[in-house]
Amino acid sequence: MTAPIYEVEGLVIDLYTPTVSVRAVDGAGFHVAPGETLAIVGESGSGKTVMTLGPLGLLPEGVAVDLRGTARADGKDILAMSPSDLSRLRGGFFGVIFQDPMSALNPMLKIGPQLAEQARRYAGLSAEAARKEAVSLLARSGIPDPEDRYGRYPHELSGGMLQRAMIALALAARPRVLIADEPTTALDATVQAQILALIRQIQKEDGIAVILITHDIGAVSVLADRVAVLYAGQVAEEGSAVDVLTAPVHPYTRGLLASVPDFRSDNASGTKEIPGIPPNQARLEPGCRFVDRCDRAIPACRSRRPRLQAVAKGTVPHRVACPVVIAAEGIVTHD
Amino acid sequence: MTDRESRGGPAIQATGLKVHFQTAAGLVRAVDGVDLTVARGAFHGIVGESGCGKTTLARALIGLQSATAGQVNILGRDRAEWARADRKGFARAVQFIFQDPLGSMSRRQTVGQTLEEPLQIHGQGDRAARRGRVAELLDLVALPATVLDRLPRSLSGGQRQRVSIARALALSPQVLICDEPLSALDVSVRAQIVNLFARLQAQLGLTIVIVAHDLAIVREVCSAVTVMYLGRVAEEGAAKPLFDDPAHPYSQALLSAVPSPDPRIEAARPRILLEGDPPSPRNPPPGCRFSTRCPVVEPRCRETEPALRTVQHGGAAACHLADARDHAMI
Amino acid sequence: MKNWPWAILAPALLFVLIGLFAPLIMTHDPGAQDYGALLTGPSGAHWLGTDYLGRDMFSRIVGGARTSLVAMAFVLLAALAIGVVIGSFAGYVGGKTELVMISVIDIVLALPSLIIALALMGVFSGDNFTWMSDYWKMIVALTMAWWANYARMSRAVVVAELQQPYIEAARVMGASHLWIFTRHILPHVLGLVVVYASADAGALVLAIATLSFLGLGVAPPTPEWGQMLVDGMSYIEEYPSLVVIPGLALTAVVVSFNLLGEAFALQKVPRAVRGRFLTRKKVARAAEESARKEVEA
Repeated sequence: MTAPIYEVEGLVIDLYTPTVSVRAVDGAGFHVAPGETLAIVGESGSGKTVMTLGPLGLLPEGVAVDLRGTARADGKDILAMSPSDLSRLRGGFFGVIFQDPMSALNPMLKIGPQLAEQARRYAGLSAEAARKEAVSLLARSGIPDPEDRYGRYPHELSGGMLQRAMIALALAARPRVLIADEPTTALDATVQAQILALIRQIQKEDGIAVILITHDIGAVSVLADRVAVLYAGQVAEEGSAVDVLTAPVHPYTRGLLASVPDFRSDNASGTKEIPGIPPNQARLEPGCRFVDRCDRAIPACRSRRPRLQAVAKGTVPHRVACPVVIAAEGIVTHD
Repeated sequence: MTDRESRGGPAIQATGLKVHFQTAAGLVRAVDGVDLTVARGAFHGIVGESGCGKTTLARALIGLQSATAGQVNILGRDRAEWARADRKGFARAVQFIFQDPLGSMSRRQTVGQTLEEPLQIHGQGDRAARRGRVAELLDLVALPATVLDRLPRSLSGGQRQRVSIARALALSPQVLICDEPLSALDVSVRAQIVNLFARLQAQLGLTIVIVAHDLAIVREVCSAVTVMYLGRVAEEGAAKPLFDDPAHPYSQALLSAVPSPDPRIEAARPRILLEGDPPSPRNPPPGCRFSTRCPVVEPRCRETEPALRTVQHGGAAACHLADARDHAMI
Repeated sequence: MKNWPWAILAPALLFVLIGLFAPLIMTHDPGAQDYGALLTGPSGAHWLGTDYLGRDMFSRIVGGARTSLVAMAFVLLAALAIGVVIGSFAGYVGGKTELVMISVIDIVLALPSLIIALALMGVFSGDNFTWMSDYWKMIVALTMAWWANYARMSRAVVVAELQQPYIEAARVMGASHLWIFTRHILPHVLGLVVVYASADAGALVLAIATLSFLGLGVAPPTPEWGQMLVDGMSYIEEYPSLVVIPGLALTAVVVSFNLLGEAFALQKVPRAVRGRFLTRKKVARAAEESARKEVEA
């Protein structure tokens, strides 16, 4: 396995608002290698976005943040970086695609020049070369008639086209890690499929690392090589997409997958549900975060925090934070 | 007409329904000639992409949106006439669930007050009787009595939607129209609410119309489905046969776009990728509305608009090529 | 709201309490003249001394508080009622009716309230209005000058609230217009407008004093602060306390009410605006703004 290019370990992020403090990320970590797509899956409030973007300094506004742990990009410790170095890294090394394209595009500026500016600043191109690059980025992102779209304002483009323009913007700096935060949530089904196909194609061509932050199991299934399932700020399960999505071990992963119907397989006998709602992250309990909703919980789950154990060897280790299921089903661990 | 006399016919029948809006940018033909029949006791899904008019259609069915043309009959009675002549009687028969449960409730009323309000409006029972009914409703949607004194904002998304469902059921309606009741919810909660709908439908013998964009869920729970494209019905029929063998190229593409949660299936299956976005409902293309994106388009598709015709799965599709003995497969 | 100088609200509270219980507090009849004790300083018999007619200053200040409070209450209640009714009606009905009503409201708002009140007092001084006492002329004039603010706010709240999905939900449940208005919209309107009115109370006290100062409002012998100021003006060099005492009372009450209004508004205003003292208009705007935001949220 190639060495990871972005790596986060033992991350703890506390968010403070005037009224509450929340442990959004609680000792979670992940890593992604060039040419690999990692999907970080979780429901709203699971901390998936904060965990991925937090170390880069992209955090919710108006909230005080306490962030501990280690985060390395290309071997460099990014938590120790100066704000200006971090800002350069954010613009050049990382490319970010957000759910809402208008959060990244300036509505007052034409699309092309925004791309060219990015390419000039981070990829060090001349003005003329940057213009050409911008047009070719638009073309590459599947925008028809890129010369014409170069001079358009964001509001003149449809939702799908805007999403493509934002992907072009994220690629303009020739990033080595592309982070896609819920890139298709706001899009229609047929457009979603187009955007997912586009991200996959770019990843194949450029061999960059892609991190997909999503709650959409379908998108994970299309794009991901590896999956990390996040629940209440902790990694519940991680492994190859096939292992995690077809042979889940953690009760939460199992519940999550059972609640997603698949009309292509006939064994779906009604949509299953996970009872209850995610825990209140303002209260820090010592045990497993999923315990209140879990049908396999034993008393020990409340007092002992489960650690990730490898349940399958191989190029991509499959690790699960649930000793109960591992013991009950006689799953062999490799540690 | 009493309910008994009207029994037998469809729960909802819309004919030639059009809803056009005048906007600054021109006339939007949100719903542009829709015929829809919802059988009694059906769980009827309306699917399509944004701008296809599915939400406007749902709102027009209950009269939240006034129709430009066409007629809607509910339980055998003309909707407009019914709502005019007997507003409360209509409300007792037909209810609506909004996409955003939080917005559809007063921020300052507790759950108890919210659930009691329809009963008060209809002057049903005294205070004690209403309390009893509210408790019953909470039970029906599986909410604990502890939520009674809470404000909507302090509830989770799933709980809010349960409250809004309970409120819609307070008057024991026969028809429930739901506008994307699942889209604001997390995946695992979505399953809870879908199952709740299915249980209520069976338990109360409701007719449910549900607007949704999650096709997998529609196939899972709906008995019938209508696929809309640009203000028109593209295809309709019983849910499972239609999903297994869609006749309209748009339905095929829409279904193909839904990824399987199994990456092995996903890696193996061929996918239909449509070009571009749906056109704007301000100026739909001539002929078949799907002709601009259709992978199997023929010259006649750009000239004449196809009518709905019966297809193999027993439903109907609006596609010239659906005529062929074996419909077009893209 | 932490670290807020709550003590500054004491004058407003005191004003209301003194106004309510004036007859119990007054040590003398505020109109009783005592030629044996003209222009005396503070003493055991006259806590704040006496004026040029030998009237007890303390009792006159207390009586003046009652006069202002009662007049203010009349004006506020009438203006609120008129404003809420007109504004809510305009907002609820919409269309051309609304347009016409807004135009009228805007015209009234375009002129300073005191100017309108003065102009109306001028009109009322004509022969057709001799059946009204000066006191009631003042009440009517101030009401006519004050309602438009509340009308505009009420309309804004009604329009914003009507767009809420929960209003549609109520309609789906078969609720009548009356039900929707009284159960859902009116509480919102009142909530906001009453807060705004509290910020306005100080301005009203000042307006009442101003009119009386100009000899247009409360007529002698009723004790009133504006009048006390005028009366004291002639003796300002020798006996400044005759002006300073009612002046201080007036200033304290006006400032205190303005701060009270601000305190209410601050609870509804986004944090970014906090920490600065706001003008009356800003408070109103901020309250309106935050209502809109809340509605959007």
